[in-house]
Amino acid sequence: MLTLKNICKSFGGSVALSDVSLEVEAKSITGLVGPNGSGKTTLFNIISGIYAKDKGQIEFNGENIDRLSPSKRAKRGLSRTFQVSKAPEKMTVLENMLLAGKNKTGESISGTLFRWRQTSGIEKRNLRNALKLLKLVKLEHLANEYAGNLSGGQKKLLSLVRVLMTDAELILLDEPTAGVNPSLTRELLNTIEELRKEGKTFLIIEHNMKVITAICDKVYVLDFGKNLAEGSPQDIQQDERVLRAYLSGKG
Amino acid sequence: MEGLVRFLTHLAILTEIYGILALTLNFQFGLTGLANFGHVVFFMLGAYTSTILLLVAHCSFPVALLGAIIVSGIFGFLISIPTSHLKSDYWAISTLAFAEIVRKVFYNENWIVGGGYYRGGAYGIAGIPAPLDHYFSSGMYPFFYLAVTSFFLLAIYLLLEKLTQSPFGRALKGIREEEVLSEALGKDVAVFKMKAMSISGALAGVAGSLYASYMGFVGPDQFMPLVTFVVWAMIVVGGTGSNRGALLGALVIQVFYSSTRYLKDYIPIGADRLASIRMVIIGVLIILTILFMREGLVEEKKKHYKL
Amino acid sequence: MNLIQIIIDSLIRASILCTLGIGLTTVYDILKFANFAHVELAVAAAYIGFFFNVTLGWNIFISAIIAIILTGLMGIVFDQTIFKRLRSVNPVITMIASFGLAIALRNGFRAIWGPRPKTFAIGLQKPILFLGARITMVQILLLGITVASIIILHLFLHRTKLGKSLRATSDNPNLAQARGISTETTIKWTWFIAGALAGLAGILYGLETQIEPDMGFALIIPVFCATILGGLGNPYGAMLGALALGLAENFGIYFNFGQIINLGGLLHLIGPLWIPTAYKSTIAFSILIIILLARPRGILGRKIRKE
Repeated sequence: MLTLKNICKSFGGSVALSDVSLEVEAKSITGLVGPNGSGKTTLFNIISGIYAKDKGQIEFNGENIDRLSPSKRAKRGLSRTFQVSKAPEKMTVLENMLLAGKNKTGESISGTLFRWRQTSGIEKRNLRNALKLLKLVKLEHLANEYAGNLSGGQKKLLSLVRVLMTDAELILLDEPTAGVNPSLTRELLNTIEELRKEGKTFLIIEHNMKVITAICDKVYVLDFGKNLAEGSPQDIQQDERVLRAYLSGKG
Repeated sequence: MEGLVRFLTHLAILTEIYGILALTLNFQFGLTGLANFGHVVFFMLGAYTSTILLLVAHCSFPVALLGAIIVSGIFGFLISIPTSHLKSDYWAISTLAFAEIVRKVFYNENWIVGGGYYRGGAYGIAGIPAPLDHYFSSGMYPFFYLAVTSFFLLAIYLLLEKLTQSPFGRALKGIREEEVLSEALGKDVAVFKMKAMSISGALAGVAGSLYASYMGFVGPDQFMPLVTFVVWAMIVVGGTGSNRGALLGALVIQVFYSSTRYLKDYIPIGADRLASIRMVIIGVLIILTILFMREGLVEEKKKHYKL
Repeated sequence: MNLIQIIIDSLIRASILCTLGIGLTTVYDILKFANFAHVELAVAAAYIGFFFNVTLGWNIFISAIIAIILTGLMGIVFDQTIFKRLRSVNPVITMIASFGLAIALRNGFRAIWGPRPKTFAIGLQKPILFLGARITMVQILLLGITVASIIILHLFLHRTKLGKSLRATSDNPNLAQARGISTETTIKWTWFIAGALAGLAGILYGLETQIEPDMGFALIIPVFCATILGGLGNPYGAMLGALALGLAENFGIYFNFGQIINLGGLLHLIGPLWIPTAYKSTIAFSILIIILLARPRGILGRKIRKE
């Protein structure tokens, strides 16, 4: 579904990514791991379109998405969350969810002014979906609360269900369980598995190896902006190079 | 008594015209986060377009108004183009420069109204006809005009309020708060900003058209950056989070402004000095509001959904 | 059209813009916001100097020095009272606050000293003939002081401990703080230097032309243009931009754009095309907009990423 070939990216003088390649198959859960500073989030930024790559190719569903802006990639079904959850402080949890929901009529001026019934119909449907998703992560009691008042872990959960509102096919999760308590983490992972059964694909950055082992089919390891290893969670956990990279101080 | 009623009507009309400017600037900054320091340009373009259509093309007022809306809307669109690659403070400076360039054009070009009675250029253009003025006596006309401006103010308020509370407005709010996130959620930020600027620019043009026909005269001196400052004071003091705040701010500042003008007969300070002191207070008000009452008089209301 | 005269005029203009621009760009670099009130400090110095020199009758040099020191201190005062409380706020809000301060100051000057232009008590300047161009003692002094200030500034930034710590804070505030350089002290010194430089510019400008309340506003866009052209945040960029703008403004009105369009006489598409003298002031505005559209980081600026 997503193919990256030889991605290179530098900032000024320093090289962030060098010849990184990976492949994410449809309906899979793929992991992306590596010590701090290995370039994982930079790679996410390139996939989602926030940074432009210097060299290499990105293909999503067979289409070269190089020239597409982040919003166009999102509209094509490629969504992501952020390492530091972005939750507009002055918008409520429900507003956050509805922001992510698709309402093409409601988001146009003519639609708002002239197509009332269609707009409110879509809005009602999005509202139902939003509440359903919030119940999933036990946030529904905070629906009308300002997102700025949520704890770090709650913001992570919000980010997860919010991205699900976009009807994305491929979902990039940047450290989804950081700051989330173990029982909720279990729920979260179950949700991801359920969604995979419904046909969604995931690419997950994680530091928590238990999470990776629990749900990932395949894992890529990055170190210093380069591919270090790839394979099943079991394989890479026993890989000498991976152990060395993590132990050599940067992790 | 008569003089007081006349004064109050005049004050009300001006407040409503500025109210439109405040609502539209608030839509740009309060809702979308676009800091526009050249808002007076829409006022100016609306006024001049309306004037030219009335005096040169001999159009009726509705047509002149429509022309004002279209031209201001186009410039709203043009100004918004750089927002996608400029940081907000750079863009703010460019809007200030842009408004001044347009004002300079109207200042220098006196061919725009073709000479003769309408001297144009730096001297301004006089003799702008007021709509339907032959239907009313000169005593009654201001009340009619007040009804006209009230109608447009209400219409624009309802329109902008509807847009604010809709998914469109929500997207703009999201862009204001977290632009990168909004983009990642599929909102084409550049297009939304263009739409926001175009429609608010177009509606601000209405204020210009109403102003020109009311005053009967337009000149480049009426569209100095001072006007933009005053409108900013209105939305900052009133509260950038709400349309009602913008209207309240317009009322407060306009009352303050006009009442001190009235005061000049009672206080032994020269008119010019009084005008300057007025502006000092406005500047200080902006600072104090930002420091101590960031939300302004009317806070942004939390959007509550019935579950 | 004397080439030497145009060059002299360009250099004089560049000197004023440069002295103002260095302070503006340094404050932007350290505090990350565009200070609209910066040019008003220059005006403040001119009026303070006027007070000592004309109203009290003191020597011009002493008056100038007092004014410059006072405006340096004013910079610190405004920071401590206003901008310090806005350190962690959206820079657009800080910019609006500085906008309010600028309005208050500008109209304050007008309220106190009135709208009529004032001059320093230095007597009428007889121009000296130099290579066919006219230059006055004041202008020679202006150029000399500007050059001296640039050299002193450069030495200060690179040879003194305080200067080096200023540069360190500008490059990497966290690292600088970790190494023991107090950010707040650095900020106070930055404001003092920026204010003093602005004050110097104001005095020189007032000596060379006149002192009036709106001189700040006439300068603000050209100063922004010069600093953005050279790269906001870089004092050497401000110098470069100021020079470029000075030359552009003064040569621009002699530049026959028709020749360019006609490819130097090869084609005959149009006749001569000059920028009308009336539009000389818009040269800065237009260059600003062009730069912001094409290359917002300017000549020496760092690449500006939007997030």
